[in-house]
Amino acid sequence: MNDENKDEIQSAPLDHRQGERSYSGKVYEPLEGGYNLANLIGFLLKKPLAIINDLEAQKKPGRVIFPLILISVACLAVFGLVVGTFSSQKIDDIQIWAAPLKIVGGLLFSSLLCLPSLYIFSCLGGVNARFQTITGVLSAFIALSGLLLIGFAPVVWLFSVSSNSASFLGGLLILLWVVCVGFGFMLVLRAGRALGMSNISHVIIWCLVFLVVTLQMTTTLRPIVGDDGSLFNFEEKKFFLRYWGEQVMHDVRPENKRDPLE
Amino acid sequence: MIEHGGSGPEIMVNSSMGLKGPACFFQNAGALCRGDKQLLAFWIREGRRDSIPVCMVLIILGCGLYGSVIGFRQGPEMTCYVALKLPAIIFLTLCVNGLLNGLLGLVLGSEIGLRQSLRFLLTGYAIMGLTLGALSPVILFINLNMPGPSADGALVGHAATLLLHTAVIAMAGILAHVRLLSCVREFAATRSAGTHTFMAWILGNLFVGAQISWNLRPFFVSPGLDVEFLRPDPFNGNFYEAAFRALQSLSLL
Repeated sequence: MNDENKDEIQSAPLDHRQGERSYSGKVYEPLEGGYNLANLIGFLLKKPLAIINDLEAQKKPGRVIFPLILISVACLAVFGLVVGTFSSQKIDDIQIWAAPLKIVGGLLFSSLLCLPSLYIFSCLGGVNARFQTITGVLSAFIALSGLLLIGFAPVVWLFSVSSNSASFLGGLLILLWVVCVGFGFMLVLRAGRALGMSNISHVIIWCLVFLVVTLQMTTTLRPIVGDDGSLFNFEEKKFFLRYWGEQVMHDVRPENKRDPLE
Repeated sequence: MIEHGGSGPEIMVNSSMGLKGPACFFQNAGALCRGDKQLLAFWIREGRRDSIPVCMVLIILGCGLYGSVIGFRQGPEMTCYVALKLPAIIFLTLCVNGLLNGLLGLVLGSEIGLRQSLRFLLTGYAIMGLTLGALSPVILFINLNMPGPSADGALVGHAATLLLHTAVIAMAGILAHVRLLSCVREFAATRSAGTHTFMAWILGNLFVGAQISWNLRPFFVSPGLDVEFLRPDPFNGNFYEAAFRALQSLSLL
């Protein structure tokens, strides 16, 4: 099979969908303006399918994936820094740098854990795409979630400096994460459809798996919000629901009206 | 459908849209209340920079006037404080949520970006400011008929005032945002995207606005407490924690 034929087969689902281009008029627009960060951010927010289209057509998808990972890391690091301000009384406090590190590392590690399952589940759903394209979809998903988290960063800062309860801030962060990741899931589903997905149930299951993995990661890498005197707590293994329940009950008890850190 | 950018009857850029002089300023205020789509198209689609100062002035005047009525019961000091703090809540909320509102507009498919979302929300709050400002004389009259902070029945007067102001501010907010919703729907790429974007903005602004008002307390000084610009610990605790504790103390939780 020559390269030309290979390219034709690889882009088959897109070509099939391109029939709808003239109908909707804006589904697949070319990724114009190069692969600089500002342009990618613009497309990620306004026309994410252009990135997916480009990924599938690219012979070197790394040119798109690497900037997307860079955007994700930068956004998550800034968000983590804002989260770290809750626990840090002073600038040299451990949480001010530990929180961004844990958030960036935890999310990248979760993505790595879930990448193979995304590829398999996409294939089960009928997607006909290369592994690199799926990697790109996952990168775009994380980058979009990160960008939205940056939008929420001022809100988190406001509550971080005002709140006494680690449970409240933790709950707020989880809520915001679910919102951001929800937008990411919509991107994954749209990308799946663009790549020829015929059954969305597999990808929905993957979305739930990814969400559970990231939520468990918050417990594995604890403490991210609040400070219990240690950087990590790998010895004591807990399911995230149990850990959160314990934290909330601790804060709700009348004798713990104020933060024990104070 | 709003036409823009062309000449002729579609846009009819009259002198009031040029925003020059106090007469035109008041014409704009009236047009805003009517939800004049030509004016909004001119402000938002054409990206008129002078629309932002007009909205800011309307918010400062309207909300400031209403704020002074809220603080009036507690004397001249509190009158000035609340007149400053009420517009400040709106501007701080927009500052905190500005980036988020822009991102949500884009991600939800309305194609309303950061600047346009700011213009939309400022316009909405300007309408709210106008409504509150217009109601200020009425509310002042009602306030004057309530028992003062040191009179008998001060607690009842305080509770009634609190409820009255909450109801009036809520009503003004709803009126302004209902007016804005129809405009956002028309400007958005699709009607449903406009509705989703608008709802996301409102939810975010309510959530953050409640917290900022908590940080900037007091507005309604409870009987027995001192009049001051800010409490000594404005960042100690948040609105939702306080609401939870209040429910807990009532043994509801």
